[in-house]
Amino acid sequence: MNGLITDGVFWLFAVGSVVTAFRVFRTDSMMRAAFFLLASFAGVGGILALLGAEFLGMVLILMMAGEMLVMAIVMVMFMMNPAGLNPMWMVHQHRVAVVAGAGSFLALASLPFVVDLPDRPAPRPEEATAELGTELLGGSMLVFQTAGVTLLSAMIGAVVIAHRNGRFGEAEQGSLEPALEPPGEEKG
Amino acid sequence: MRDYASPGVAIVAVGAILVAGVYVLAVLDRLLGMIVAGTSIRLGALLAEPVQSGALLVLQERRTTERPDAAGWALAPALFGGLAAVALAMVPLDRDIVAADPATGFVVFSAAIAMVMIAIYLHGWSPNSAFALHGAYRYGAQALSFQIPFLLAMLATALPAESLSIVDIVDAQKSVWNVVREPAGLPLYLVVGVAVSFWGPLNLPDAADLAGGTVVEDSGLDRLLWKGARAAMLVAVAAMGAAVFLGGWWGPWLPGPAWVVLKTVALLVVLLASGHLLARVRIEQFVFVSWVLLIPLALLNVFVSGALLL
Repeated sequence: MNGLITDGVFWLFAVGSVVTAFRVFRTDSMMRAAFFLLASFAGVGGILALLGAEFLGMVLILMMAGEMLVMAIVMVMFMMNPAGLNPMWMVHQHRVAVVAGAGSFLALASLPFVVDLPDRPAPRPEEATAELGTELLGGSMLVFQTAGVTLLSAMIGAVVIAHRNGRFGEAEQGSLEPALEPPGEEKG
Repeated sequence: MRDYASPGVAIVAVGAILVAGVYVLAVLDRLLGMIVAGTSIRLGALLAEPVQSGALLVLQERRTTERPDAAGWALAPALFGGLAAVALAMVPLDRDIVAADPATGFVVFSAAIAMVMIAIYLHGWSPNSAFALHGAYRYGAQALSFQIPFLLAMLATALPAESLSIVDIVDAQKSVWNVVREPAGLPLYLVVGVAVSFWGPLNLPDAADLAGGTVVEDSGLDRLLWKGARAAMLVAVAAMGAAVFLGGWWGPWLPGPAWVVLKTVALLVVLLASGHLLARVRIEQFVFVSWVLLIPLALLNVFVSGALLL
């Protein structure tokens, strides 16, 4: 009975993930595409939790919620498409997209048949979480700390670039670029 | 293996507690309003009012807008209410009375809080209405600002327990409650808790200056479900605050579950009172305070809690 429920939940997440991922490209609005992508990721998070990687699954859902919202808002800002409600195609270069999509799907789907996967029972969730922590702050600490500091500096850079106080004053004040020679007239 | 109630029992129990919690919250909110306004309190009317206004909304006509995203509009209150249920399911009533106690309960609760912003954005975006969309954008800014202080404030409570399980976090407060151990934690959590359910001074997405914000196009059952889900989320936030900061089931004389209920109601009173005593904050002010004051304060809280444990 328990195994049956687990199987049912797995198929729900698996089919749900694939269907919503497909819908990302078939829908006609950026906001809907972002929501479908989030639903797809949530399904993957559920499958990770079923596999015993509870922490990774939950963190995936946690991170993706904020990420999709930011992505959708930024897309709408750049596309000058109020609220992302105007119908639009989510795919460009259809033939290339179809070939690349089908090719990568087949390549990934063939992996379980060509790779000799290890036959090891999954560890219990709390052990998996502890192992992950040991890995992050033990063996792979240098890698993760380097990546972390790099990302942090990129974030600080993005904040500085986006800040309203530019070199020539506040952005909303309509500031003028100063002259090339110090006591000259402002350009404008 | 950690504790899990059987699915049927868990769903019914969490649902029943949420409905009861929403009713208690509605009564408490009106009672606090009467006390603050100094009007005379009539108990019968007070107890009947939430049911009456709920019934009125059920009977009202539902309306729609021009070219809405109907699926998203219908899904938003369900998602919000479901997230409240997930969040509440993590709260233990006693050491062995809990709907679900995964090893990562803290992360599950945080993921539910993070998904709330999707529910609210969906609710504001889907009616295809300007004021509702304004409300959605406001909550986007609000949610991205409170996420980090929220996670940090709760993370500090996981340090003494050396576990992400909520039951372990409560268990570690047997001698000292976290509210004493980390004095900055509970105030931070309460500010953020008001923001999560956008209540009182932080009700920016559904604010009156936007004619109701994301609920502007909702009427009848839609409005009732949305308000119910929002109240349910506040109940879940208060219950979790009682568990991780006020020692959950620990307390003298009374049995554990009674203490959890008492502490939850006490936190609810504080959260609800903010709606009657404080003026609404502007979104720019909230974003500024979150990033400049709350995040450093929450970081300091984590560092100090960690240093005390070493």
